[in-house]
Amino acid sequence: MDCIRCGLCNVCPVFRVEKLESVSPRGKIIVSKSIDSRIARDFFKCSVCGLCEVVCPVNLKLTEFWEKKREELFEKKLAPLPIHKKLREMTFRDFNPYRGKQEKRAEWLEFPVGKSKTLYFAGCTASYRLQNMAKASAMALKELGIEFTVLGPEEYCCGSPFLRTGQKDIGRFLFEKNIRAWQKAGVEEILTSCPGCYKTISQDYPRFARELGYSFEFEVKHVSMIFSKLAKGKLGFKATYHDPCHLGRHMGIYEEPRDAIRRCGIKLVEMERNREFALCCGAGGGLRSQFKEISIAICEERIREALSTGTDILITSCPFCEYNFTRTGKERIKVFDLSEIVCMTLFP
Amino acid sequence: MLVKDSFSRFGTVEDHPEVLKIYCYDFTLIPRIFSRFIKRPIIVVQPRSAEDVAEIMRICERHEIPIVPRGAGTSAYGGAIPLKSCVVMDFKRMCNFEIRDGELVAQSGAVWIEMERELNRNGEALRVYPTSANVSTVGGWIAQGGYGIGSLRYGSIAENLKWLEIVDFEGIRIVKGEEMRYYVGTFGCLGIITRACIKTRKNEPINCRAVHCSFEEAISMLEGGYHASFKNSKYLSLEGFGAKDVLLICSEKGDGDETGKMMWGRRLIPLRIASKGKRIFPEVVLPHENAVKFYEYAERISEGLEVVFAKDCVVFIAALGNGYRNMLKALKIVKIAEKLGGRVYARGMLFSSGYGKDISDYKKRIDPKNLLNPGKMGWNAFSMSIGLLGKLIWTA
Ligand SMILES: Cc1cc2nc3c(=O)[nH]c(=O)nc-3n(C[C@H](O)[C@H](O)[C@H](O)COP(=O)(O)OP(=O)(O)OC[C@H]3O[C@@H](n4cnc5c(N)ncnc54)[C@H](O)[C@@H]3O)c2cc1C
Ligand code: SF4
Repeated sequence: MDCIRCGLCNVCPVFRVEKLESVSPRGKIIVSKSIDSRIARDFFKCSVCGLCEVVCPVNLKLTEFWEKKREELFEKKLAPLPIHKKLREMTFRDFNPYRGKQEKRAEWLEFPVGKSKTLYFAGCTASYRLQNMAKASAMALKELGIEFTVLGPEEYCCGSPFLRTGQKDIGRFLFEKNIRAWQKAGVEEILTSCPGCYKTISQDYPRFARELGYSFEFEVKHVSMIFSKLAKGKLGFKATYHDPCHLGRHMGIYEEPRDAIRRCGIKLVEMERNREFALCCGAGGGLRSQFKEISIAICEERIREALSTGTDILITSCPFCEYNFTRTGKERIKVFDLSEIVCMTLFP
Repeated sequence: MLVKDSFSRFGTVEDHPEVLKIYCYDFTLIPRIFSRFIKRPIIVVQPRSAEDVAEIMRICERHEIPIVPRGAGTSAYGGAIPLKSCVVMDFKRMCNFEIRDGELVAQSGAVWIEMERELNRNGEALRVYPTSANVSTVGGWIAQGGYGIGSLRYGSIAENLKWLEIVDFEGIRIVKGEEMRYYVGTFGCLGIITRACIKTRKNEPINCRAVHCSFEEAISMLEGGYHASFKNSKYLSLEGFGAKDVLLICSEKGDGDETGKMMWGRRLIPLRIASKGKRIFPEVVLPHENAVKFYEYAERISEGLEVVFAKDCVVFIAALGNGYRNMLKALKIVKIAEKLGGRVYARGMLFSSGYGKDISDYKKRIDPKNLLNPGKMGWNAFSMSIGLLGKLIWTA
């Protein structure tokens, strides 16, 4: 790594909470050649939010570096950390990290769907935990005239939580389960409401496909790309938008959710740190599951920033962000997924 | 283990041998042959109060263990790099601050941007801050000394302090006025800064204009400005922007333009030219009257020039390539600046020998065992080599 040790990456939200240079990106680069179990733990104190990469004046590919390092730690048996291991075992068994029953994966679906070349891939969190998000996304898509199918018991975890924590083997396993199901169903286009799934299917799956000899010709879209063109309404209230790291910094989708929000007639007020400089919610990269206190402290900071815009309505477009904000903010802040906002315009 | 026990009551301590390596670095580029002069600390301690600092100092004095204070480690003068086996006193947990009418009282580990955000919520703003404000600390910038955003109107950080709380081997005390010179720009060699009272300004909106002009013309446009910086075309093209010299002139009154607004918006995203290869950035301070003369020289020998205008001086940051030849060039730039009545921007580990008698005498009195950041006042391997090379260049 051609790090010039300027320290600008100390903007890292985890470092800001922990205040130890061993968790700062610069510090981790310095010790990256001599990792033991203590240092390995510090390498997982990171939500892989990618802010370090944005501020790095040398343009180091830091997100890729953290993920590669985590893979290396996994290979050297210095990872997974205990909770990540538990989630791994559960997912090998249940195909999701929430102990959800596979046959109940599409229990949230409130209307029948037929065969279609377009698939709505709800992802594990929206299928089992935040069903409001899966329901709203599906309802909004349907009402906006998008025909799609849902695979239910033939949908498996995309593997994002594992790929972000260095566990490529289970990622590959899940990739094969999903791609076979998609091929069997004749899917050509995949719509996701979860940025983790969106990144994984768009960026990691084509790599797996090449490695394992599958063809990968699916068009992958995040639902905000559709809402930005079709949503319209006159909701009239004021709200702020939180950029999910996997949608924004990782995939470059900043304007589509904003366009959709404006099209819904909402007065959008930006937080001081927005778009590529947005502060992470603290939930990603396996941080919330393994280091809950750090994740909550980061989320608190983001909630303070959101409230200082003068609104208590926060819109985001990611189930992990929504979960973390709702759990941490409790009644202080009202959190909505973008699809719920679109539904408000469609079903007043 | 014994050392760890002595310090563990202060909360977080770090003694993992590999992790301690991190504390051997700041933003200073160290040529490989010099790396053997850098020592790994024995332990890192994170005090939470001035009382903790005083107690740590008592332990260190008793056992004759050197102390190296550390903020964010972003200074490029090696001040936070240990030259002796030592205790690193890391201030990141002393990061509280409070806003009182028209002033800000901050612990030394407070980060500039966090204070600015809070001040803004209260209708106030910092007068001056470094472009590393997103990460750097109060204690670190004061101990290095320097100029930054807002220095055209408000001068250096030294001019914007009301008082400092200092801890040395005699105890904790408040220092004001002239006496603050012992602590601003002396890299923690004379005492530890635990709190600072910093002057603030009303949060008037800053309006910025970007003007294409020569350096000489730029000087005539500074009147009434809050902040001004000039980048020559070579510097800008390294940054990936236009190819004409530009003055960014900002004021608390007046109009702005789109380019000015964009440049102001990027003021805390510095160093972008680092992506075009490793570089050395010699920094010097010149009196206003010799700035044009110096500019002509520096413009010729550098790969790009950035200039920050301050109230009573001009700061030049030259972008050079990497390697020994460029290090010599950097020394030449310092020498020419000195000849024109200027000085190197800061001292730290690299230029540690140039302090006046007043400061050196104070050091002998207050720190007779030389435990406070040893090697950063007087000669060390780095400053000796630089001094020798400087002499050679000058003779040649
Ligand atoms: C991208 C970038 C931009 C920069 N822009 C500017 C700029 O605009 N203006 C400018 O002047 N500098 C600038 N710098 C240099 C540097 O960031 C500043 O000097 C900075 O404020 C140093 O703060 P720090 O917390 O990193 O201090 P450190 O680097 O940790 O320490 C600096 C010195 O202070 C001592 N020290 C730290 N804390 C204390 C304390 N509490 N008591 C006593 N001594 C202490 C250390 O021992 C060391 O000698 C920049 C650096 C970078 C990387
Ligand atoms: S910002 Fe980039 S170059 Fe600077 S210390 Fe961090 S990783 Fe290194």
